[in-house]
Amino acid sequence: MTNEVTNIVVEVLPRFEGYVYPNESGAHPLWSVLIVLYPYITGLVAGAFIMASLVRVFRVRALEPVYRLSLLTALAFLLCAPLPLLFHLGHPERCFEVMMTPHLTSPMAIFGFVYAWYLMAVLLLELWFDFRRDLVAWSTTEPGFKGILYRLFTVGVTDVSEPALRLDDRIGHLLSVIGIPSAFLLHGYVGFIFGSVKANPWWGNPLMPIIFILSAVVSGIALCVFNYMVLSWVRRKTADMRCLDVMTMFLFYALVVDAAIETLDWVHRVYSAEEGFQVMQYMARERLFYTLNLGQSLLGTLVPLLLLGSLQLLRKRVPELVRRRMYFASASFILIGVLAMRWNVVIGGQLFSKSLRGVMAYKLEFAGMEGWFIGAVLLSLPFIILTVFIHLFLSEKLPSTGHGDG
Amino acid sequence: MKSEISRRDILGGLGAVMAGLATLPLARTAKAAVQKLAVSANAPKGYDPTQHRWVMGIDINRCIGCGICVEACKTENHVPMGRNYFRTWIERYIITKPKPGTGAARGEVLVESPDGGMHGFSDLPVPAADVLHSFFVPKLCNLCEHSPCVQVCPVGATFDAPDGAVLIDPEYCIGCGFCIQACPYGCRFLNPFTRTAEKCTLCYHRITRGLKPACVEVCPTQARIFGDLKNAPPEDPIRQFYQDNRVQALKPFLGTDPRLFYAGMDKEVR
Amino acid sequence: MGVFKMPPQIVRLVLLTVAIVGSYLMARTVLTPPSFRQYGWYRGEALVELASRQIVFAGKPACEICHDEEFRKLAKGSHKGLSCEGCHGPSQAHSDDPDDLAVRPKKEPFSTCTRCHEFNVSRPKWHKQIVTRTHYTGDKCTDCHVPHSPTEVP
Repeated sequence: MTNEVTNIVVEVLPRFEGYVYPNESGAHPLWSVLIVLYPYITGLVAGAFIMASLVRVFRVRALEPVYRLSLLTALAFLLCAPLPLLFHLGHPERCFEVMMTPHLTSPMAIFGFVYAWYLMAVLLLELWFDFRRDLVAWSTTEPGFKGILYRLFTVGVTDVSEPALRLDDRIGHLLSVIGIPSAFLLHGYVGFIFGSVKANPWWGNPLMPIIFILSAVVSGIALCVFNYMVLSWVRRKTADMRCLDVMTMFLFYALVVDAAIETLDWVHRVYSAEEGFQVMQYMARERLFYTLNLGQSLLGTLVPLLLLGSLQLLRKRVPELVRRRMYFASASFILIGVLAMRWNVVIGGQLFSKSLRGVMAYKLEFAGMEGWFIGAVLLSLPFIILTVFIHLFLSEKLPSTGHGDG
Repeated sequence: MKSEISRRDILGGLGAVMAGLATLPLARTAKAAVQKLAVSANAPKGYDPTQHRWVMGIDINRCIGCGICVEACKTENHVPMGRNYFRTWIERYIITKPKPGTGAARGEVLVESPDGGMHGFSDLPVPAADVLHSFFVPKLCNLCEHSPCVQVCPVGATFDAPDGAVLIDPEYCIGCGFCIQACPYGCRFLNPFTRTAEKCTLCYHRITRGLKPACVEVCPTQARIFGDLKNAPPEDPIRQFYQDNRVQALKPFLGTDPRLFYAGMDKEVR
Repeated sequence: MGVFKMPPQIVRLVLLTVAIVGSYLMARTVLTPPSFRQYGWYRGEALVELASRQIVFAGKPACEICHDEEFRKLAKGSHKGLSCEGCHGPSQAHSDDPDDLAVRPKKEPFSTCTRCHEFNVSRPKWHKQIVTRTHYTGDKCTDCHVPHSPTEVP
């Protein structure tokens, strides 16, 4: 077979230390960059939605400027979420099987239904009810293709009378309430995919879905801070300071809870020191040194905790400009840190052998389906889509009436 | 927006759609029948999976690590020849003597599986005088009673067949790799050519015709014992194996309940 | 209070939901393979497909049909537990068409004697092993041993 030659070339250097099962000794882990990105993206969706629901459900008035932006962010990222999965499947053309014959003992089987539910019944509906009045208005005032698009989005419903609008508001509120557990389900099941694998001690524990959900909320709020500040900067407007202060307050407390649970996971592992502990410790120290210590812990958790925590205590003493810089830095660091956390969980779990006797090495390639180029493309795509959404729905040129106009 | 489509038109349209749909079950049955004909030309006649319960046992005391079973499996099942695609493989365990004066019971444990043991095991990584125990352990699908791999398949492409084999449907597998992650024994891999999951099938195409799996067939020392527990009399090798040996299973604490038993296993085997 | 009029938003959404759920259910009936759930949550047809694959190793009983002399010789000696194909290679193609020279297994085994009998510390003690260097410096093991009857001298 022709692959004999490739085998000789590719497998010259040993890629593992100790003993690994022969089937594990491949060139790269089975679940690579693409499967790191999927939890990251769905986490951002869930977190951004929770941000938005703080306005609707918990009536945090200060966050209204960022309400619509959060929802559109959630939608842009949700539309891109299935892409890494499709790219990763051995047979993407058979992907519909998950919805035709879902094997209900598998957490992965609920993907199709949870995704469809969240996209259609929660996110699109909530956006529709919030934007409906504006869509009807824009469909009459905007010319050409855009006008047709807005008319399409109204789904033919043009009633904007007072009772209709009151109904919209009530349904929107209901959807936000339903949306919170739906967001937890959307991202929680991903955490459970890892948490349910008893064969892998790095993954299989009950804290995994909780850690995933908490870091999702943190990353989602950080993304909203980031997007809001970037959008304001692009438009040469000042982002509302009170909104930023309140957003980052929620971000800080979410980060505290997230950091606490992740620390608990680590402490428990060290304390109980079960059979796989030594090989996992070696793997974490040697293979995950930069992504774990620098990326996730230092940059992604400790530094933002210090920055945001100090601002919680000393907010009045710190001038506005400095606060803005600190907020932007914290949000960016957290976004990087949560991506590093996903990497550490997904890749880390595959870098040591299930024989608990060996550790593999992984060098991320540039090209190929599991290379970082595809990763970069998939991460930038939601931002491109978001730009289109902002142009269509949050444009300064369009008169709008909803909660917040970005 | 005043609609110009009349109610009659809508009902007529719906009726047409319903009529079209009514032909679908017929078309599906016809297609299924044709498919069945095409495949069953080569199928073993009269094999009823509910009348058998296949199982394998491994006698570590008898394995000489020749690796002929690994080669035969690759040949029989057209497994890709690469270094990380094995439906079955052999591991060598070397337990060294403890360093004198340390008060330890045993020394270092070294485990290796060069090319899955396909070409045998040649050089010893430590001097022979340092070896306390050394033995070979053939590995394959553990035929779990509560297979975690089957539990996590999102589409129903891998399954517990009624006759005891754990199989993969390569026409239905979407290649997500969840089953490969879920198997605690490392016996699954992703075939790079079919892009589906693959594993030991107990040579299903052989056992349904009364033959033995290829690895059992070629083993020179009868270290692999194969049998049908639903139809095995007391003299059958598999019954003798359970009778003559105290056995162990791999990773019993995980609750997978493997049906593959090992005789002569050491505590260091994972 | 007058007649309750269903708000247009609700009407549209209910219609859309019915359409979407309806198409999903229709798709499900069409796209589920016919033999699914025959034995469990999988295609029953898969069992037949997997059982229909080509056989490569014929199995010892198949060799006995034509080579009964070698078979009986083997059964008397200490190599009686060996399978023919373990040394001579896969033979189903040969068994299907014995006259086809291209698929006829070679007389010399595809695995040599030392593969099993070379001394190795990891091998169990009951197994007969030699260190080739000290055992025989000649060319072939068959100078002194008949493979089908190892204690016989040729």
